[in-house]
Amino acid sequence: MVFEYNCIMALTPEQTHLLDISHHAKVFLQGSAGTGKTTGGTLWLKKLIQSGIPAHEILIFVPQRTLAAPYDRCLQDEPGLAQSLVTTMTLGGLARRMVELFWPVVSPASGVAFPDQPPQFLTLETAQYYMAHIVLPLIEKEGFFASLTINRNRIYSQILDNLNKAAIVGFPIDEIGPRLKSAWVGELDQLNVYDDVQECVNRFRSYCLSHNLLDFSLQVELFQKHLWSSPLCRNYLTRSYRHLIADNVEEDTPISHTILQEWLPDFDSALVIFDEDAGYRFFLGADVESGLALRKTCDEQVKFSTQLVNSPEVQALRTGLQSTIAHLSGNTSTSTIPDFKAVTTALGTPAENPRFFPVMIHWVADQVRQLIDSGASPGEIVILAPFMSDVLRFSLANQLDTLEIPYHSHRPSRPLRDEPTTQTLLTLASATFPEWRLFPKRINLAFALMQAIDGLDLVRAQLLTAYAYEEQTREFPLKPFEAVPSEVRDRITYQAGERYDRLRDWLAEKTPEDSQNLDFFLNRLFGEVLSQPGYGFNNDLNSANIAAVLIESIQKFRWAMDTPAGNNDLSISKEYIQMVMEGVIAAQYIQSWQQDHQDSVFLAPAYTFLIRNQAVDYQFWLDIGSPSWYQRLDQPLTQPYVLSPQWQPSQTWNAEDELAAAHETLSRLSLGLLNRCRKKVFLGPSDMDVSGYENRGLLLRVFQHVLLEARRRSR
Amino acid sequence: MILSADFTFSQSNLQDYRDCPYRFYLRYVLHTRWPALVVEDALKFEQRGQSGARFHRLVQQWLLGVPEDRLHALVTGDPDPDLGQWWENFLEAIPPLLDGERFVETTLATNLAGHRALAKYDLVLVQPDGRLIIYDWKTSQKKPRQDWLEDRVQTRLYQFILACSGGVLTNRAMVTPDQIEMRYWFAPNRTAPITLTYNTDRFEQDRDYFTDLINEITDKPADSFFRTADEALCRFCVYRAHCDRGTLGGDLEDLEDSDRQPEGFEDLLDFDQISEIEF
Ligand code: SF4
Repeated sequence: MVFEYNCIMALTPEQTHLLDISHHAKVFLQGSAGTGKTTGGTLWLKKLIQSGIPAHEILIFVPQRTLAAPYDRCLQDEPGLAQSLVTTMTLGGLARRMVELFWPVVSPASGVAFPDQPPQFLTLETAQYYMAHIVLPLIEKEGFFASLTINRNRIYSQILDNLNKAAIVGFPIDEIGPRLKSAWVGELDQLNVYDDVQECVNRFRSYCLSHNLLDFSLQVELFQKHLWSSPLCRNYLTRSYRHLIADNVEEDTPISHTILQEWLPDFDSALVIFDEDAGYRFFLGADVESGLALRKTCDEQVKFSTQLVNSPEVQALRTGLQSTIAHLSGNTSTSTIPDFKAVTTALGTPAENPRFFPVMIHWVADQVRQLIDSGASPGEIVILAPFMSDVLRFSLANQLDTLEIPYHSHRPSRPLRDEPTTQTLLTLASATFPEWRLFPKRINLAFALMQAIDGLDLVRAQLLTAYAYEEQTREFPLKPFEAVPSEVRDRITYQAGERYDRLRDWLAEKTPEDSQNLDFFLNRLFGEVLSQPGYGFNNDLNSANIAAVLIESIQKFRWAMDTPAGNNDLSISKEYIQMVMEGVIAAQYIQSWQQDHQDSVFLAPAYTFLIRNQAVDYQFWLDIGSPSWYQRLDQPLTQPYVLSPQWQPSQTWNAEDELAAAHETLSRLSLGLLNRCRKKVFLGPSDMDVSGYENRGLLLRVFQHVLLEARRRSR
Repeated sequence: MILSADFTFSQSNLQDYRDCPYRFYLRYVLHTRWPALVVEDALKFEQRGQSGARFHRLVQQWLLGVPEDRLHALVTGDPDPDLGQWWENFLEAIPPLLDGERFVETTLATNLAGHRALAKYDLVLVQPDGRLIIYDWKTSQKKPRQDWLEDRVQTRLYQFILACSGGVLTNRAMVTPDQIEMRYWFAPNRTAPITLTYNTDRFEQDRDYFTDLINEITDKPADSFFRTADEALCRFCVYRAHCDRGTLGGDLEDLEDSDRQPEGFEDLLDFDQISEIEF
């Protein structure tokens, strides 16, 4: 059968060669970013379907769901192409699906206390909650982690991170502490921290088992240890999926690679795609080496090397950067000095380095405006920094607004818990149920009433709460409007007072079930009062959306508390609000569907942009003096290198290792970004960073070196 | 066009449009979520939805070959005593009917008026004589009338899509409509499934009907998605407060009468909806 490519774009000879390979083959395709591998993958998918393979027999396996988007799009663009659906899966999704489907088979061996009851699958949010539930008393009463001064939520998330690493690398959880300890060469105090980590890991796991709770690590472990070897589960998988496309395997984890390695012989065909110079998810457990090893299991190897993205100038800059970083790392074998003209064409810098950060922001926004004015599409511009702090994002957004430049950010400006709608609903609930003893502060209640009641500004709301709210009482704390002195009532207005009374009366009629089921209570509060005429959320679709997300989060929390072992000692609603106040949950961001991101400048942390895997014409790199471009995050409870599969048990982690890791990160990140840049990179340096510190980090020095050498060569 | 080119039609969004164009607009064009109780007895409603989801899961597990004694242990430990009865009814009524190749929780697609349309089946049975039987498990207490079921968007779309795309299950190029049957089976009843047959006339009617419906939706300007005139449909609609069509949820027993499935719990079964932990 002749394959119709069905596409307007011209194929590269390399892509044509790939598509000429039989669709019964197992192909390992490698190449650097920008060589058209994923496009090759989508064409391969079409070829499979057009050759008569039912789409439901095709599995697209990716390390992160978003990376499957090109495959989804390619089928959606042609609705007549497939008569069934391809399956898109990550390792996490696969483990979760299989554990849920084959729970009756796996449960007797799982170690849970109630094998004949269904498990509760924990989300990141509920796992964090249970971790806090276990660790907080150890911190407060037993002095755990006493030598550390970090936010408690970071303690919980790093312990979870360790558990997850053990699962995806494939070592027992009781090796976490010993591994971290044996690699440590610094202060002895840190060894106690690692002992504490191990103790918390053990307690969390045994709590999960005794309550039928499955966090990510346990789901993966159960799948890998018990289900992957179960003929029932294995036959189900091999019967269901006959053809594999695994993209970005370099970003996937060792356990994914082991599974794929064992699974590959069972497929009728496979295309395994490997991006060279990548592995950006290393900190999340990605392992390039075991990904590359999949090559041996495939019968054909194909390499794409034609760069389809970079202009020759950007390529020259990339070569210069690569050579300089290699030199830094002590690799002097190759030394390529790029052409000065090419480098200066590919690189945009201010005539003089601004001293202060705001000046740099102005310069960046001006450059963006000029690019757009000269015909560049805003969607072809990204502004990147190693971290996009709130301050940085705010300053950039302000300046872009001033110059009327459309932009969007990788996330909205505040998390769910900080949304005024969330705070209003939770404050009103806390006031309604004084038995929870959460007693909202007067100013917070005033703020909530201001949001809730139309026509009540903050001054009036404060007046109202000054007279009508009794703080710290065990009785229902809201008094009727008539309790407010008449001269103050005049100032508040009778219309607002009447609305307040209606709300108050509604709240006063609460039932004990309302206290148990906060989500139902808030649903009713929103629908029966706050969305009605005269109240703040009337006809407010955005607030409705936020309230719906909050209520869903509460509902999931309530379900996660419903375990066979019970949690009777807890008031679930109160517990939820407390956890929100402590920042443990409701930390997610709500994306607005209405936002049109099609053609606007993208502001994001560099890694977020990389993992989206899309090339653009212009990139702005901010804060390039910052060491955050290459330094590890400060994570005192974990260590990604020590918990990786490449780590040898007898090794210690010393300053040289740290430096080598920094060079490696710098190279991976900067070359990865350049691979996704078509025309030009603008550097945004400033002598002082956003926090007012003077930074002259490696990346800045590398660029200076490239420019200097190129200029020298040109003379 | 108000919908993106990649919008996928399904029985639930088409049913929404048929019930109330404005609901469709809020849900699928504006992507608005509105917090509200569907019925006042929210806890019971939730429990029924969850029991239904657990029952579907049990059937799925049984169909995939999970040993019956393990499923029995799960049923025995279940908090809802109804589930045990449903399960007993299932084992008595259904297994003798399942001669053929089983496609469990399978999704088929077709191109309708330039858009993708999907149908997600609890079970499609390809029988040795070439017949294709769609099974749909229901856990609602009340069994609706046959003519009502025949007119449902679900029935029409599921049969239509199977006629268009069932060939991918049978390895044959074409499936003819008269090979297709849809069986609704009500777990609380001990009775046999309600069987609805299909034929070429109905297939052609359905094709015209869905094509016209989708064209109507895609051609409609944003301000023409009007609110339904049938206010009874608003009782179980979460947008009722926004539409000024009442603030209180409906009555659970009335919901059963109307045979509208509890919304939201299907997601418990839909793996594609599971937000994966990004690690
Ligand atoms: S409340 Fe009624 S009018 Fe409004 S969207 Fe729902 S069904 Fe339509």
